[in-house]
Amino acid sequence: MKRLRVAALYAALTIGLVAVAGPFVWTLLGSFKTDAEIRQDPPTLLPLRWITDNYAALFERMDVVTVTLNSVIVAVIVVASNLLFCSLVAYALTKLDFAGGRVVFGLVLLQMMVPAIVLLIPQFVTVASLNLADSYAGIVLPGLVTPLGVFMMRQFMGEIPDELVYAARVDGSGEFRIFFRIVMPLCKPVLATLGLITFMGSWNGFIWPAVVAQRKEMYTLPVALAGLSSRETVHYGLLLAGVIVVITPVLLLFVSLQRYFVQGVATAGLK
Amino acid sequence: MKPYTTRSLALITAGLLVLAGCGRGPTGAAEKPKDVNTTAKATGTLAVWAMGSEGEALATFAKRFEAANPGIKVTVTPIGWDVAHDKITASIASRTTPDVSMIGSTWMGELAKTGAVDPTPGNLIDKSAFFPSAWDTVQVNGTAWGVPWYVETRVLYYRKDLAAKAGVTPPATWDETKSFVKGLQKAGAGQGMNLNYTTGSWQEILPLIWQQGGSIIGSDGKWTFDTPETVKALAQQQSYFKEGLASTKVDPASFPASFFKGEVGAYYSGPWMIAGMEKDGGPGFAGKFDVAPYPKGSAGGTSFIGGSDLVVFKDSGNRDAAWKFVQWLSTPETQASWFETVKDLPSVQAAWQRPELTADKRVTVFGEQLKDAKTPPPVPTWDQIAKVIDQEVEKVALGKATPQDAAKAIQSQADAVGTGL
Repeated sequence: MKRLRVAALYAALTIGLVAVAGPFVWTLLGSFKTDAEIRQDPPTLLPLRWITDNYAALFERMDVVTVTLNSVIVAVIVVASNLLFCSLVAYALTKLDFAGGRVVFGLVLLQMMVPAIVLLIPQFVTVASLNLADSYAGIVLPGLVTPLGVFMMRQFMGEIPDELVYAARVDGSGEFRIFFRIVMPLCKPVLATLGLITFMGSWNGFIWPAVVAQRKEMYTLPVALAGLSSRETVHYGLLLAGVIVVITPVLLLFVSLQRYFVQGVATAGLK
Repeated sequence: MKPYTTRSLALITAGLLVLAGCGRGPTGAAEKPKDVNTTAKATGTLAVWAMGSEGEALATFAKRFEAANPGIKVTVTPIGWDVAHDKITASIASRTTPDVSMIGSTWMGELAKTGAVDPTPGNLIDKSAFFPSAWDTVQVNGTAWGVPWYVETRVLYYRKDLAAKAGVTPPATWDETKSFVKGLQKAGAGQGMNLNYTTGSWQEILPLIWQQGGSIIGSDGKWTFDTPETVKALAQQQSYFKEGLASTKVDPASFPASFFKGEVGAYYSGPWMIAGMEKDGGPGFAGKFDVAPYPKGSAGGTSFIGGSDLVVFKDSGNRDAAWKFVQWLSTPETQASWFETVKDLPSVQAAWQRPELTADKRVTVFGEQLKDAKTPPPVPTWDQIAKVIDQEVEKVALGKATPQDAAKAIQSQADAVGTGL
């Protein structure tokens, strides 16, 4: 009986694994096929003949190194800034008693409710009039502190007992010391989650960097990839190869942070 | 949420709405173009935006212009089609436009209305050099706002081998088309024709309206969809599905593989499909298909014309050089070698006499079809109207609406949207 149960469990997990990993595997295998084979009906799983032409074409038509570097620079700045500043705002909202705290939080919530596409043109006009169009500064500016990050950090920090903070104050510790030495170390799981979410948001970000960057030397990976599609025809093999280049770093990051990530989501969900 | 927070949210929202009222006001559409100084030597740098394969190839191609015009440097930024519209809109709003940009041919109405685009100077650009239907894509309210760069039009693709097996020849009229498709079916193409009845199906319906002498916009600038011609066009398309000459039962994604396998015998599409068929069809497929002009209705065989235009922005600090670059791209020689580079069909008629264009018989079919092709009116709301048509065509194809009801539905929704001019 027990054996049967285990077998059923494994069967269910296998189906789940195939459903989740299937598209990735198909993308990976597809990037080694010709366009004709990708379009073939019935489709093939393993390439009939393994070709690396798609990757060769990708590296030839796109400055992969430059755009990947751009993506990394943008993502690192955005992640670091969100981790620091969202936490600072959340600390002020939860551990400091000041007038207007609720209004500030209301403002944060309000921003979460405005769809990003509505802000596209006003934000670009602002960035352009600051002469920041076509710069890293212009690309990262609107994403430095995200409302979602503030919200997540506030929810998590609200759970940290105030007594810890009081005790530190009684012992004569300053607010920054409390923040960095006591509160932040306790926030590790949620910081990992926030880091991953903002990294993915920045890494996959398309419309904003595409609008701000004025030269292809400033393009990020998704922006450069989009330029490879014509209006009427799509080179699937080339795109699949590009997708592999884009998702590999995200997958690696996810695997390395998985332990924290799962914990962070679980705790954030407790609220 | 506490009442206090709710109140502050309401206040902030009200504040944002007030702020949203600001922006750049549109200017009048009719405007006299200024001449370009053709005697002085133009210098400086030009920022040019182009999409897709054009964006990729233009940077290298423009070196020839730089060589012929020392002192001018052209910087091409390739932009993705997905983002092009948003990016151009944002650059107009912030007045950070490039000097020259490629635009989709149906965007002209909207861009002309922003007042950011420079009217075409008559002393440099000769209107009569272009296909008249292509020129229509840049003309809004009697003023031209750029030049057509390249064009595309739709023709009939069919399986040559199956047609030979069935003993049928490409159809010249609507009636012949049906017997042609029946012949292809007997020769093995079970699905008959692949007719588009989902996104983009307006591109197949409009030609059917025009081929009976119908028009979708009146001289008073009002939409005219509820006409006998529209009803008949929709009925004609519907009859293919009703008579089993086309199918709504197969997954649209199975095309074009179904054409390679011979399950589909024919379809309407544009010039890019030639390369697509030869590349993806597998070895030997290039000899198995051919193209033919659109079959004629009661008033002719008018096809759809699309493509891309080039515009110069008013905020360009280098207007003379910008227009000279556009003019260079519109010469027959440049257009013919541009065809060799990216397979874009020339919008300039004289380019079609050049050997690059006359070598492939299939390409010349497109050249002939371009003499009888029309563009949808370049009005700011065209994308919305096109979506309305697509929805109604789908209902008709699936048998959920009669052609009469669909024509009425398109008319009332189009009236509600207006032309935006």
